Amino acid sequence: MLKINNLHASVEQKEILKGLNLDIKPGEVHAIMGPNGAGKSTLGYILSGREGYEVSEGQVEFHGEDLLDMAIEERAHKGLFLAFQYPVEIPGVSNMAFMKESVNAIREQRGETPLTATEFLKKAKEACKQVQLSLDFLKRGVNEGFSGGEKKRNEIMQMILLEPSLCILDESDSGLDIDALQVVANGVNSQRDGKRSFIIITHYQRLLDYIKPDYVHILANGKVVKSGDASLATDVEKEGYAFLGQDNAEEKNA
Amino acid sequence: MNQWLQQVIDRGQAIDDWLSPHRAQSLEALGKAKWPNRRVESWKYTSLAPLEQLELSPGSAVGEAIIEDIEGLNSLDLVFVNGKLQSDISLLVLPQGLHISSLQDVSVKEKNTANALFSKIKPQRHLFGLVNDALAEDGLIIDIDANSKIEQPIRIINISSDGQESHHRVLVRLGSHASATVIEHGQGEQASLSTGFAEYDIGEQAYLEHYRLAMHTHQAIHIGGCHFSLQQKSQLNSTLIAYGSELSRMDVDIIHNGEHAKAKFNAVYLLGEAEHFDLHSTIEHVVPNGTTKENARGIVGDKAKAVFNGRIHIHRNAQKTLAELHNRNLLLSRRGQINTKPELEIYADDVLCAHGATVAETEEETLYYLLSRGISRSQALVMLNFGFIQELVDQMPNQHLAQWLKPQLHSRFVEMEVK
Ligand SMILES: Nc1ncnc2c1ncn2[C@@H]1O[C@H](COP(=O)(O)OP(=O)(O)O)[C@@H](O)[C@H]1O
Ligand SMILES: [Mg+2]
Repeated sequence: MLKINNLHASVEQKEILKGLNLDIKPGEVHAIMGPNGAGKSTLGYILSGREGYEVSEGQVEFHGEDLLDMAIEERAHKGLFLAFQYPVEIPGVSNMAFMKESVNAIREQRGETPLTATEFLKKAKEACKQVQLSLDFLKRGVNEGFSGGEKKRNEIMQMILLEPSLCILDESDSGLDIDALQVVANGVNSQRDGKRSFIIITHYQRLLDYIKPDYVHILANGKVVKSGDASLATDVEKEGYAFLGQDNAEEKNA
Repeated sequence: MNQWLQQVIDRGQAIDDWLSPHRAQSLEALGKAKWPNRRVESWKYTSLAPLEQLELSPGSAVGEAIIEDIEGLNSLDLVFVNGKLQSDISLLVLPQGLHISSLQDVSVKEKNTANALFSKIKPQRHLFGLVNDALAEDGLIIDIDANSKIEQPIRIINISSDGQESHHRVLVRLGSHASATVIEHGQGEQASLSTGFAEYDIGEQAYLEHYRLAMHTHQAIHIGGCHFSLQQKSQLNSTLIAYGSELSRMDVDIIHNGEHAKAKFNAVYLLGEAEHFDLHSTIEHVVPNGTTKENARGIVGDKAKAVFNGRIHIHRNAQKTLAELHNRNLLLSRRGQINTKPELEIYADDVLCAHGATVAETEEETLYYLLSRGISRSQALVMLNFGFIQELVDQMPNQHLAQWLKPQLHSRFVEMEVK
């Protein structure tokens, strides 16, 4: 589904990703862990096509096509979804109107008929319930005045409504209490159907107690320095990122 | 003396009709007037060069007037082409209490009405108001009897065609407790000059619903104004929709002459390409207890230029005034320009006054968020940027007009984007 080969990328002339490889097959859940500043969010932005992030080397294939060649909205049409670490607030645009627009834009690309207001409302209500947000949140401006946790749940709600084939969750667990963490985890688990794939970016192992990953990768200094199964996350939790050794230490001194 | 002004004076002096006494006053004022340049504050950002360079073909070719029907509006239409009234008023079925006559064809009674109204409300300081005084020979006098509620909207259409110059005048009086809806609808795109000034005398407890659709584009130069006098407990709800052309300018005056009057004025301007639009509004609170709410909002794309000057003048005596003026702008392009200046002059101490002006740009991060959810760029821009315009259109009391306008404004905005 997603094949990243020797990806080098920079922001403002600063190289952040330095030869990253990743291969994700349908239905798999990959966790990416790593210290702050390792380039985890950068990876998410590169995959979703954010401006200002330059790829200097490497390829990314998504469903057999060149992902890096696609416009931002095209990537979404093809099934890529990024749950943001810091979702923006958009006062003046209702959450409901925004989600309806986006669901129908994607349906249109898939050759499906757009949902009517009533059909959409029904789906949105169900999704709200699933992430335990009250219906008021549909009427408010997109993320406007939402708490940190509410923003994350709003991201998960969008993920549920948009039915993507690859979900990238960028620290959807950070700043959440244990109840909210479970809501997010349940949202993700409900979407696991054996075909949909996930990249779970997280700083802590905590979330992985609830979402069982098939693979865990440690990202440090712009590369995957270690890969393993779920037990790797437990090791990291115990020992921290100290084992990363020289490379990472150099980066810190630089 | 500026050449352009001189020829106006010469032509104005040659006209001999029943309005000539009024014309003489304005001609005298014009004789003393200075041709505006960049050092004149009220014309600082609007150059008159396009006007001076305009070549007009003499003769008064009367073009075909294609009048778009507005679904459900059911208006009483009065059509001017190049300043000449085309509609035959005698054929119109007018509701009781409504009297309409052409400036060219007025009875003694209407002359008295007109004499009482002409240039009484429009301040002398508007240079092109004086030009219009001097040259307008055609126009309308609309008189509404006291207590008459005129349901059918009155639509005054002005069409400018290639190479033509036109000046027309509208005088409206609403008797006490009367109500009416007046739509001034101007359009044209080919090289032309039109001036159009309207004066409204809104009687005690009367209600005027007013629209000015200034839809001149491209080379159609339009300079005009709407001037309202509010008597005691009267109400005004006015909306201006403006496009821009090589030179477009509108002056609006709302004058509270009677206490407890309420005025609401909304303005929307959407400018693309190299269009220019200048709105100067002045709210005069002469007496106590008046209320004014003004909201002007615009979007400027490409190389277009918007000028907004909103003045609130609260006279010494005008205690307990409530006045609000807000101007919001969105700049879509680095080459576009917005000059906005709210001006407050308050001489009374017990008033509530709010004003502000903002110019914003679309945030990249916000746009990215919408795109990442599969929404197209043009739709994302509409969602982010059109809501604040739509809001004012939705506030228009006449829903037929709003429904007719919305898709037009929408597609105008989308086109602004693409370029
Ligand atoms: N817009 C930017 N300008 C400059 N540096 C940036 C920018 N965005 C990210 N970086 C830098 O790139 C590195 C990786 O950041 P990020 O991908 O956010 O890390 P992570 O998500 O793993 O904590 C950090 O050193 C960060 O400071
Ligand atoms: Mg991050």
